[in-house]
Amino acid sequence: MTLIKEQSLTEINSFTHRVIFPTVLRLLLILFCTFSHADKVKVDKSEWGLEAGKACITCHAKTSKGLATQWEESKHGQIGLNCLDCHRASEDDDDAITHEGEVIATVVSPKDCGRCHVTEYNQQKGSVHANAAAIIKNRIPALENVGGPAIVAGGCDQCHGSTVKLRGDGTLDPATWPNSGIGRINPDGSKGSCTSCHGRHRFSKAQARDPAACMRCHSGPDSPDKEVYEASKHGMHFAAERDKMNMDNDLWRAGIEYSAAPTCVTCHMGTAGKIKSTHDVGMRNAWKLNTPVSEKHYLVVFDNGDKLNLPESQDPPNRGASMTKPDGTLGKVKAVASPERRRQAMKAVCLECHGKAFANNFMTQFDNVVRLYNRKFGEPAQAIMKALYREKKLTPVAFDEPLEFTYWELWHDEGSRARHGAAMASPNHAWWEGIYEVGRNFYTKFLPQVREVAGKELGEELIGQHVSGLDEHQWLQQPNKANPILGYGSGAE
Amino acid sequence: MTPLNHWKIFGFLTRHTLFALIIGGVAGIIFILILIEFDHFTSSEEFCTSCHSMEMAAEPYRQSVHYNSASGVRASCGDCHVSEGVFASTWDHFIGGKDLLNQIKGAIIGPDYDEPVFHVLHLPDSAFAARKWFIERNSATCKRCHNKQAILGTRVGTEKVHKEDAKSKSCVECHINLVHRKVPEQKTFKRESWNRMVEEEFNLQPGEADRLLSR
Repeated sequence: MTLIKEQSLTEINSFTHRVIFPTVLRLLLILFCTFSHADKVKVDKSEWGLEAGKACITCHAKTSKGLATQWEESKHGQIGLNCLDCHRASEDDDDAITHEGEVIATVVSPKDCGRCHVTEYNQQKGSVHANAAAIIKNRIPALENVGGPAIVAGGCDQCHGSTVKLRGDGTLDPATWPNSGIGRINPDGSKGSCTSCHGRHRFSKAQARDPAACMRCHSGPDSPDKEVYEASKHGMHFAAERDKMNMDNDLWRAGIEYSAAPTCVTCHMGTAGKIKSTHDVGMRNAWKLNTPVSEKHYLVVFDNGDKLNLPESQDPPNRGASMTKPDGTLGKVKAVASPERRRQAMKAVCLECHGKAFANNFMTQFDNVVRLYNRKFGEPAQAIMKALYREKKLTPVAFDEPLEFTYWELWHDEGSRARHGAAMASPNHAWWEGIYEVGRNFYTKFLPQVREVAGKELGEELIGQHVSGLDEHQWLQQPNKANPILGYGSGAE
Repeated sequence: MTPLNHWKIFGFLTRHTLFALIIGGVAGIIFILILIEFDHFTSSEEFCTSCHSMEMAAEPYRQSVHYNSASGVRASCGDCHVSEGVFASTWDHFIGGKDLLNQIKGAIIGPDYDEPVFHVLHLPDSAFAARKWFIERNSATCKRCHNKQAILGTRVGTEKVHKEDAKSKSCVECHINLVHRKVPEQKTFKRESWNRMVEEEFNLQPGEADRLLSR
């Protein structure tokens, strides 16, 4: 059964009552079951606290005291979970090494954590976080030209994740390890890195719930979520009232265990009202914001738990249909959540502290900024770039011409900043560091460089076709509409 | 009993046997002296690396702290790989003679261990054999220089770990891959990924390493 978009839902008729409402209910049920509450670990006590791992600590308490202390003070340490419980491996594992007679693996993958944390593993394994490396696989070669392999290892891969390689001589390739990128591809084939957010070896709840856990990667020019959050009223309250946040409480439900402020976790993965927590952190995002042009996305869930973000412009698959998964293999579709469902899940969190109209209007303001960016800058710039490549005015290789940098920064840095600023209510990032910079770039760098690259004739043709006709750019046609802001009219007596 | 009776037990000593005994004795002494000198010479880096395959094993050694120590102490090949005492060291050299035979056999009918790729392909087997040798001897040659009771280390826990946790362990149970090219422990060694590494290193076609090895 195909999921019908919201527009169709407004057409109330018997078909809607008979077919669509039950479908929606079923989907909601699936959504809540699939992304169910962060479960208590139910693994039997006989399966951890391995005898062979009890002695590890006698050396490590001497040779790596800090690490040992973190473990000792952690919940893991206190319940008797030892080094080998997480680091154990079997001899034929690709990354197995022998250490003091025991077969272990240095890299603890989500699959390893998932031996006990089953629910969280299943939630994260198809998430946008787990696919963080796959998402940028086209970007890496182009940016590697600008930087180099060393900075792929020390930069890109540290957030997006490396493909960890154990060499034939038993050593981990330093080009791929250490790495706690959230989309890391592990030797056991699993994707992700729990320690990206859950710092080892204390694995403290409070630490992972702190916005700082996200900020290692979600900061800087292209996704300044740290800066946006800190500048928002949410961040303002968090900074002022973090002592009221009850951060290390076992349960952490918005409005119940804490109400001083929401953190990243609260909105993107936390429990709030009827919305259960999830380790699929992108699940509640209706838009994709880090793209040249933003589009809303369906969430397609496959029967093995894998997920796919499908642009709204494409037809959503039927349940039970076969579809290519992000890893290229075929999967059977188990459920599809529309962008509106995803938005509803996010908005349900808002309602713990805000009125419905407030939340709706906020989302409208946010959506309008995204659409403004899309229509006024993103779409025209994308169309012009495509035409310049088609007309061979630009070489196929990326970043060997100034215009390519200009365009990249327009959408990837300034444009993303604007959209993130609007998404999380930092006026400064939405405007001065966002749309204002997009506009300045577009009018003073992008368009002049297009004219330069395309030549006068083609340049004017492209700009005429993609820019001049848009209402948003009509102000350029009225050069005599005076304004004193920059000095016009003053002292001109 | 007169003193003369005392000498009667040497009655069998004819001129000839006396002569033979003296010659035999001197020859024996010379033989032992030669053995000592032989063991000494054949334990030297100079001798060992006169085979090219051993020169390849020595390259990483020359980068290691066993070659370049701040105090100027330098362990040569035999200091680690040949037992102490003239009989034990001669025996080790006798057993080690098979390396020489293989070297000669390799030069004639292959595989040629002087080829770097063969050297690396076969290195794990040598490493496993060497580790076994050390374990069987309780890391005896390490202990020529290293005394567990005297290990202080430069890090906080080093001394305590050696005195408390490693009390009943011999050196190589923990310390491997110190001197020569790194080889995983046998239990988790994977020929497959070792061969892929060799192919990458020597720019060989995939599967070429397995083919070379089966030669």
